[in-house]
Amino acid sequence: MSIGKILALDKVATFFNIIRQNGGIRASLYKLYRQDELKDGVLVGEDKYGNKYYENPRFFYGRNRWVEYSDNYNMNYDGSQIPAEWFGWMHYKTDLPPHQDPSRPHYKWMSDFTENLSGTTGQYTPYSTTRPKVEAWVPKPKTSQ
Amino acid sequence: MASLLNILVRKSALGQTKSLLNNLPAVYNVNSQRKAHRWMPDAEFVKQFEGAVMYPDEVTSLLKHPPYNSVITPTAKQVRNMVLNFGPQHPAAHGVLRLVLELDGETVRAADPHIGLLHRGTEKLIEYKTYTQALPYFDRLDYVSMMCNEQCYSLAVEKLLNIDVPLRAKYIRCLFAELTRLLNHIMAIGTHALDVGALTPFFWLFEEREKMMEFYERVSGARMHAAYIRPGGVAIDMPLGLMDDIYEFSSKFAERIDEVEDVLTTNRLWVQRTKDIGIVSAQDALNYGFSGVMLRGSGIKWDLRKAQPYDAYHLLDFDVPIGTNGDCYDRYLCRAEEMRQSLRIIEQCLNQMPAGEIKTDDSKLTPPSREEMKTSMEALIHHFKLFTQGYQVPPGSTYTAVEAPKGEFGIYLVSDGGSKPYRCKIKAPGFAHLAALEKIGTGLMLADIVAIIGTLDVVFGEIDR
Amino acid sequence: MSLVKIFSISTRARTSGTTGMLIRHASSSQGKVEKVYPPNSPGYKYVNAENPAETFKEMSDRAAQTMFWTELARGFAVTLAHVFKEPATINYPFEKGPLSPRFRGEHALRRYPSGEERCIACKLCEAICPAQAITIEAEERKDGSRRTTRYDIDMTKCIYCGFCQEACPVDAIVEGPNFEFSTETHEELLYNKEKLLSNGDKWESEIASNIRADHLYR
Repeated sequence: MSIGKILALDKVATFFNIIRQNGGIRASLYKLYRQDELKDGVLVGEDKYGNKYYENPRFFYGRNRWVEYSDNYNMNYDGSQIPAEWFGWMHYKTDLPPHQDPSRPHYKWMSDFTENLSGTTGQYTPYSTTRPKVEAWVPKPKTSQ
Repeated sequence: MASLLNILVRKSALGQTKSLLNNLPAVYNVNSQRKAHRWMPDAEFVKQFEGAVMYPDEVTSLLKHPPYNSVITPTAKQVRNMVLNFGPQHPAAHGVLRLVLELDGETVRAADPHIGLLHRGTEKLIEYKTYTQALPYFDRLDYVSMMCNEQCYSLAVEKLLNIDVPLRAKYIRCLFAELTRLLNHIMAIGTHALDVGALTPFFWLFEEREKMMEFYERVSGARMHAAYIRPGGVAIDMPLGLMDDIYEFSSKFAERIDEVEDVLTTNRLWVQRTKDIGIVSAQDALNYGFSGVMLRGSGIKWDLRKAQPYDAYHLLDFDVPIGTNGDCYDRYLCRAEEMRQSLRIIEQCLNQMPAGEIKTDDSKLTPPSREEMKTSMEALIHHFKLFTQGYQVPPGSTYTAVEAPKGEFGIYLVSDGGSKPYRCKIKAPGFAHLAALEKIGTGLMLADIVAIIGTLDVVFGEIDR
Repeated sequence: MSLVKIFSISTRARTSGTTGMLIRHASSSQGKVEKVYPPNSPGYKYVNAENPAETFKEMSDRAAQTMFWTELARGFAVTLAHVFKEPATINYPFEKGPLSPRFRGEHALRRYPSGEERCIACKLCEAICPAQAITIEAEERKDGSRRTTRYDIDMTKCIYCGFCQEACPVDAIVEGPNFEFSTETHEELLYNKEKLLSNGDKWESEIASNIRADHLYR
C-alpha cells in the first residue's frame, strides 16, 4: 500500500477529479443541488431525450450505474423518464447499452417513450373500448306535414 | 421540665416527700400539653354561630360552617384501573393489533388482544378458487415468510393428489424455505430490538433482507409475493448464477449475525429488557398450543423438520436450538441460532443441489413448458384445461403442516373431488401465540408488553387471515 | 471493516460451545442414575442451558465486565465501525436497484412484429386471474379474425401473481418491467385495451429482451 493511500491522499485527488469532471465549482454546486451527490464516471451513452448514463465500477453494485436526467427536465426529474431501451441497462439486467445490443427489436409500430404522466393534462383517463350494450332510444323528431 | 422534676421528686430517696407529692397537681398544671393556650369552645357556643350570623338572606342561610375540628369525612368514590388502547396504530403493535390493556399504574392487570382488522376472508375465498388460483393467497397470509406458506399449501395438495415432486424441486423448496426463515428472523429480531429501543440492528439487518428480496425477485419475479412454490414442484427453474450469489450472501451473512449478537446478546440493557420477561413454562407452552420458537424457547424439543421431515429435510443436517428458561431472551437466542442453522442448511442445499426436473412430469397437473405448449397439440390442450378448469383432486382431507419460521403453519384441506377445495382451514402459528398474551403479559409492566409482542413475532396477515 | 472484526468477538461466542461449560446435574429419586442437563440429544442444541461458572476468576471477570461496561463499549464500537462503512442506500431516481428479467410489473399487450396485435381473446388470463381483475369481450373483426373489443385490467385489483402471462398461449399479455406507474387517482389505474397496447408499444424493446433472456427456463 502506498503512503498516499494510507494518508487517503488519493481521496483528495478523486475529489478534485470529480469537481473537474462535473464542470467546475459552479456546475458542481448545481449538480449537487439537483442530484444530492457528485460522482465521477464514464459516459456510457445518451438517449434521445438527453438523459446521460454513467458508469463507474469503483462504487458498489447498485450504485455503479446512474443517470443524469436531461437539463430540460430541470428539477422535475422522475424515475419513469428512463426510456425502455435503457431500462435494462439501468437495472443491471444487461451490460450492453442499447446502441451496442443488436438483438433489441426495432419495429416501426413501436411508439415513443413517455414518462408517467399522472397528474398532468396528458394523463390517461379510462374509457370503454366497446359499443354500449344498451342504446337509448332516441325518438325521431315529429316531422310537420 | 415539670415532668423531669416530677420524676426526680418521685425517685428521690428523700424521706419527707409525701407533703411535696400532695402538692403536685399544681406542678402538673403548668404542662404545655394541656393546650390551655387554645380556646376550645363548647358545643352550644358553636351551635349558635352555625349559618350566617348577621342578616341571613336565602343564599347565606344555606351556607354552613365547616365542623369545628375541620375534619370532613370523605365520601365513597368509584375508582377503577386505567384501560389503555394499545394500537392498532402503534408502531410497536406490529401491524394492526389492538390490545386493550388494563393498567394499575404501570403494571398490566389484563391484556386483551383484539383481532380482525386485517381479515380478508382468505379461507372462504379459497373455496371459490381453483387449486392453482388459491396459491397467491398464501403469500399474503404471513407476509414475512411467504414461501413457507406456499410450501405448506403445495405439500397439502400434493398429499391429496398422492404425487411426489422431483428431488431438485425439493431442494429448491428447502433452499428458499430457509432463506425465508432468515427473512423472517431478521424481521423478528430487528423489530424486537427496535421495540425495546435498539434501533441500529434493524438497519443492518434490513440491508441483508433487501438482498434476499432480490433473490426472491430473481427466482420468481416478485420481491415478496412470489407464487413460486407450486403444487407439483416449483414454477420455474432457478436462473443461472443465482446459486453462486446465494452462496456468496450466505457466506457473509454469519458476520452480520455476529454483529447483531455483539450489540445485543450481552448488552445489559437488552438483557434487562428481555431476561425473565414473558416466561412461558414448558407445560404452559404445550397447553396453549405454542409451536416454533415459542415452544422451543421453553425447552420442548419439537421441530417439524426433525419430527416429520418434509421435502428434502431428511437429507439435510442441522441442529434445532432449544431454550431453557422460556423467557424473551432465550427466544431471542433461539432465533439467532436458528439463523445460523439456516445458513448451514442453505449451504448444504447449494452443495447437494441435484440436476433434473423442477416439477412433476404429470401433464394433467403441471402446465407444459412454453415450447412444448406451442409445438404440441396435446400440450396445448392440457395448457387450456389447466388454466381454465384446473385439475381435479381426489376426494379426501389432509392436515399438512410445515415448520414455518413462526411455528407450525398447517393447512387442513378438504377436497370433494372437484377442481376447487371444499374447505381450507389455515392454522396460523401466530394466532395461538397472540391468544396467550393475556397469560404471559399479566402482572408485567407496560414496557414489557412491547417486548413480549416483539418476541411473539406476530404478523396479522396470518392471524386475521 | 477491520475495526468490526476486532470487536466482533463476543464473550458469549468465546465461551459457549467450548469445554468451559458447566453442566447442571440433577439427581433423580433413584439416586443412582444421574440425569445430565442439558441432555445430549442429536439434532437439538441448547442455547442458554449452562449456568455461569462459579469459580473466583469467572466471577471477578464478570464483575469487572459489569464495572467497566465492556459489553456496552463493544456494542458502541461495532456501531461506530459502521459509521465508517460505505452506506448501502442508493440515490433512487438517479441510481436504481437490480431487477431480473422475470420481474412482474405493469401489464402490457404485445404485438407481432408485423404490428398485428397478438391477443386472440382466448380468455385464459381472464379465467386464471385469482383477483378477477381482467375483463374481456371479443368480437369477430372485419377480416374474420377473432379479436378483443374490450380488454380491461383493474390494476388496483391485480395482485401481480403473473398467472396471466403464464396462461397466455401467444405471449400477448405480459407483466412488463415497469414499476413506476403510480398515479394520483384511482381511475387512472383502470387500464383499457388502448392503454395496454400503448404500454406494449412503449416497452416492447425491454419486454422482448426479457423474454429472450429468460427463454431457457420458460
